[in-house]
Amino acid sequence: MDQNRQGARASYIALSIFVALWILVPSAVRRFNREAFVEFQAPALHLVGKSRDMATFWEKKSRSVEEMTAAGRDLARINAALEIKINALEDIRRENVRLREITRYNVPAEYMSVVARVATRDSSSWWQRIVIRKGRNDGIRPGAPVVFGNTVVGRVTAVHLTTSEVDLVTSPGFRCTAYLEGDDQNHIVLVNGVASNSLGTAKARVSVIPRDYSMPAGQPARVFTTGMGGVFPSRLVIGYLDGGTYATQVGSFKESLLIPSRDLYNLQEVSVLVPLHQNPGEALMQGDQFQ
Amino acid sequence: MKESSDTRVLPSTPVERLRLYGVFFFFFAGFVYVIGGLAFRQLIQSSDLKEQSDTQSRRVVLRPPARGRIYDRNGFPLVDNRARWSVKADLASLQKEFRGEYLRLVAAEKAREAVSIDREKLMEDARVRVLQGWLNKVWFVIDETNRNTTKGRKSPAKLTPVTAPAERQINIDELRKHLRERRALPFTLVNDLAFPGTGQALTADDGTKSVARFIEQFPVEGPIRLEQDIVRTYPYGAMAAHVLGYVKDTDALPDNVDDISEVRVESLQKLHYTGKTGAAGIELSYNYVLSGRSGWELWSKTSSGYNQTRLKFSEPAQGGNVMLSIDYRIQQAAESSLAKLKDPQGNLLPAAAVMIDVHTGEMLALASQPSFDPNRLADRVSSKYYDEIDKAGGWLNRATQGLYAPGSTFKVITATAGMRKKVVDWDDVLECGAFFKVGNRDYPEHEPVGFGDVNLDKMLAVSCNVWNYQVGLRTGIEALAAESRRFGLDAPLLQTVSDVETGGQAMTELPFAASRGLVVPDREYKLRIGAGAWNDGDTANLSIGQGYLLTTPLHMACVAASIARGETRTVPSIIHSVERNGRHQGSQPIGLNPNQLEALRGGMVRCVEEGTARVARIPGLPYAGKTGTAEYFKKGEKAHLAWMIGYAPAENPVVAFAVLVEGQVDTNTWGGKTAGPVVKEMLETWWPIAAKANQDEKPKAAR
Repeated sequence: MDQNRQGARASYIALSIFVALWILVPSAVRRFNREAFVEFQAPALHLVGKSRDMATFWEKKSRSVEEMTAAGRDLARINAALEIKINALEDIRRENVRLREITRYNVPAEYMSVVARVATRDSSSWWQRIVIRKGRNDGIRPGAPVVFGNTVVGRVTAVHLTTSEVDLVTSPGFRCTAYLEGDDQNHIVLVNGVASNSLGTAKARVSVIPRDYSMPAGQPARVFTTGMGGVFPSRLVIGYLDGGTYATQVGSFKESLLIPSRDLYNLQEVSVLVPLHQNPGEALMQGDQFQ
Repeated sequence: MKESSDTRVLPSTPVERLRLYGVFFFFFAGFVYVIGGLAFRQLIQSSDLKEQSDTQSRRVVLRPPARGRIYDRNGFPLVDNRARWSVKADLASLQKEFRGEYLRLVAAEKAREAVSIDREKLMEDARVRVLQGWLNKVWFVIDETNRNTTKGRKSPAKLTPVTAPAERQINIDELRKHLRERRALPFTLVNDLAFPGTGQALTADDGTKSVARFIEQFPVEGPIRLEQDIVRTYPYGAMAAHVLGYVKDTDALPDNVDDISEVRVESLQKLHYTGKTGAAGIELSYNYVLSGRSGWELWSKTSSGYNQTRLKFSEPAQGGNVMLSIDYRIQQAAESSLAKLKDPQGNLLPAAAVMIDVHTGEMLALASQPSFDPNRLADRVSSKYYDEIDKAGGWLNRATQGLYAPGSTFKVITATAGMRKKVVDWDDVLECGAFFKVGNRDYPEHEPVGFGDVNLDKMLAVSCNVWNYQVGLRTGIEALAAESRRFGLDAPLLQTVSDVETGGQAMTELPFAASRGLVVPDREYKLRIGAGAWNDGDTANLSIGQGYLLTTPLHMACVAASIARGETRTVPSIIHSVERNGRHQGSQPIGLNPNQLEALRGGMVRCVEEGTARVARIPGLPYAGKTGTAEYFKKGEKAHLAWMIGYAPAENPVVAFAVLVEGQVDTNTWGGKTAGPVVKEMLETWWPIAAKANQDEKPKAAR
């Protein structure tokens, strides 16, 4: 009995000492610990991602020959259509190059594209954040935009050695400027994620929509990046306006919800557009300077 | 036995018992006191204490609403609201940083063995340093020049541009005031991201980029917030500034009819953001309509006075809209035409132009020059700009407030008075030489050789003075003055705003319109001002619109409109209403027979076709006009006022107009020559608009 009591007392004392030490240690040590934990966790995240890829691979491999033939036929048709599109785009590219040569206009490359597989979604915020299998070793820097094709997925918020965390468009930490399809005057509007309840549907909001803006008839209006903020390249699709716009009581402007252009739940692969030159905001996001 | 004596607990002696009861009583009394006090506070004082607690722990923050818009008659917004993006620091979230910086400063003071440490000063320094650090970061992100200079990892402070206009520094006085009066509200670091007011000429595009850079690059989380509110904007700049007016800051926010009881509690602390109220023009006269309804937020507050949790709130509601009778295209034409009138030094000549609908009295254009840009008065007004307007005389709305002798444009009233008094008829011919003798003085004709035989038609075409001297003297001052009053020259003609729309305050549609200064002189008037007895010379002067007579360009436009309708009075309005029935309060039939009226109108048409206003002739658009050149004294030297009034078209008139230009001592200013081109440009703009409106109306009528 006494031995049990002594054991319990020792546990409490050890816990108290640990808590006291944790409070007293310098923040750099705590940050190191956090980073070390993330790095410790990274192989597991890689393993999870790769297992999922493997499962998908075997699931596809188990399809019947008829299914594969049909899929191959569909793919051939899509390929044929894309071939035509590629030719058309090539013509446009050549014309573009010709015009640039005439005007002696040199456009420097501004972004380096890094393709990354999605490792996992952050369980604490299911819809809002994903972890990708590329990190500092691959040249990724915080603040870089994350896209899939020409659609915006989110933004890198934290970079570790081999993994990075990405705030999705629906994350409350995501904010960018946008243009609306059908707005001839190109007013800038604000897109930001909305904090949602656990298990609630993740949302983003489009605000500061001019009151005289009306959506194009017959189709949901697309929301594009402006390229003015120095982070996102211009004309990437962020999403679509959700059905309609509604006026806020203070007047003058309207708001709407945003439907992300990609199914964020099923993302498998994304591209990180790493700016070739550091922008001021990126410098602020470096923890040691910003805090 | 010894053990039993040790375990004795009750006192055995009476003295000991007494002491024990004493102690019991003492504790019991204390217990009763505590319980009684508790019961008193819980049962009796509870409501008072709750109110006291609420008062101490909660506050109301009032938010101003967006003002309503002002449109022109076709629905184009003349006054609107734009989003203003402000960067603000949440002082409550910065407490830890303030404390840390303060401790560092104290340590530094101790390290240099300071004799005394002024802790208040150090705390203020700490706040300023922390806020300045954040402000540097904000500028680091929004400043375009940083884009190409950031290579590698340099610290933000080093990259902050060297130039340091006022907006890039924390203003200590503003911070002190904020901490004293509005500690709970966020402190503004950059008031308007798009137009930071730094003195540097940011284009709208630059401004948009600044906003976009902040939105995308500055961390979302943290003590620095991006707040968006509404600021008044005038899309056409200075256009119609005197009509629209401008707004100024106010602490008296409009009421909220849905006030909760907490908001109405007098003792509850109330903080408010600064709102806007009308200071001039329609912004002032329709302030009650435009103001809207304030919003409020009920906050719990921390022990140090910062807002903690928003408990309840009510959104502000935007004010109502106002639709003016102005057509912005005609207004622009009038103003651009006036802007061509300059003195030899290149300064704008003071001038005014009015165009009104003949039937309804609605004003299609009301221009006054020089003017001001209400955008520059909508937020922070610089004293330099205020002085500039003051010096140029830009505050005065010359169309409604400027008092001038109408010169020869008054001859239409002299002729009307003469014919009504039957001292002259439409076809009477009068001999008009180079001058006319009144008493001992020769009153000159403006044509050195005179005009010979002159009838009404010719008089109006050539603006013969001598004809008017003769008719004026025959008519007499009483009839001339009465006729002037019949046309409303002594009355403030502008419509008053209804009580409902002003909240019970008496006000005309355009505030401060001239009323007291209007002068229709007569014998009593001259005696009243101590200028002696009225004489024939005064009557001769009045007959050509000179002397004591003072009126406004708006009044003269109304005279023209009245003649066009064959009536005496036009009540002008700046508000567009489809319900206007064309009846004008106090108006009477003009009192001329058809021949007389035809001759009066015909003379005005001839004035444009071949007379003094021929410079303003528009091929294909016959219209009626009358020019005037009045003498006035500017700083003791003689100068001229150029006038032109009239209506168009000659048949079935639709619009009437008046233009006035204040000539300077060194300018060559004459009625038709100076004011005519302005009239011409206004009518040339109006004509196709009216033609198109007619075309649009015809199919409707056919249906």
